[in-house]
Amino acid sequence: MVISVNTFWTILLIVHGLLAIALLGALTHQAVAVLMPVRQAAGGFVTRFRAVPAAGYATAVCVLWILTFLMGAWIYTKYRIYVRIPIEQAGYWKTQGFFELKEHAATLGLGLLPIYWYFWKNAQNPEYEGARKSVTVLLAFICWFNFLVGHVLNNVRGFGS
Amino acid sequence: MITTAATQSTPTAKAAPATSSLAASVKFKAFVVVFGISVPIIYVLCEWFNLPLFTFHPATNRVEFWWGPARSGEGPTMYWYGWTVFTVLVGSVLGLLGTLLPESVVKRIPLALVWLLPVLAFIPLAYSLMPFWTK
Repeated sequence: MVISVNTFWTILLIVHGLLAIALLGALTHQAVAVLMPVRQAAGGFVTRFRAVPAAGYATAVCVLWILTFLMGAWIYTKYRIYVRIPIEQAGYWKTQGFFELKEHAATLGLGLLPIYWYFWKNAQNPEYEGARKSVTVLLAFICWFNFLVGHVLNNVRGFGS
Repeated sequence: MITTAATQSTPTAKAAPATSSLAASVKFKAFVVVFGISVPIIYVLCEWFNLPLFTFHPATNRVEFWWGPARSGEGPTMYWYGWTVFTVLVGSVLGLLGTLLPESVVKRIPLALVWLLPVLAFIPLAYSLMPFWTK
């Protein structure tokens, strides 16, 4: 089956987006679980959302972050020419500025993964509790920021537009 | 019914064993702590002083070692890949060197630095993007 170049890159963009959504879900569950740990079971949606076994998400989050990062890095080669240049020509400088911040945030998040994984694999060690909470919330914040910036940029000028 | 969240711990709780041999390793702890602290510093230096390990020219798929300028007729250049790879490589080397530190030294490194430095890194990184914010 032959697909067009546009379709190929659009599929990659969608895969990047789907991986990001999975990562967003896992990190949000985990961040809420560390910020508001459940002491008693209740039937509400929010409580169930918080009551996940957060430690079990750590390896999946690392794998998803790396996969999302690699897919984003691959797409970025085309973005630089076919998306960024028209965005600059249209004068959307702040939008582009936020994308630049997104790429920095993605790398800083990548650098946090080893210590994040280590903290969660030692989740019962109270010595790491504060740092583990902060690293998890920071990663969740970066993930949300990157997701929203990527979403807005896709709305401004997605592939094939 | 009482549920026990995975993150729950009491003030009197003792450190439970790590869930994998790697996570129980003192040397691995030294590596991740030094790597985590190094990465934001190295990345900011790379971005601030424009020190990519390589430059990618996306229009021609050409890779150039270290920093290279955009060339006429060859489209824009990309430095982010070079900054990222350089940061991870140098961070890994520093992390490996960190494994040589005595455990007592590693224990004295404030763990708050691993999240505080990335947060602080956003200040110079956002500032370096000033042309985008002021146009």
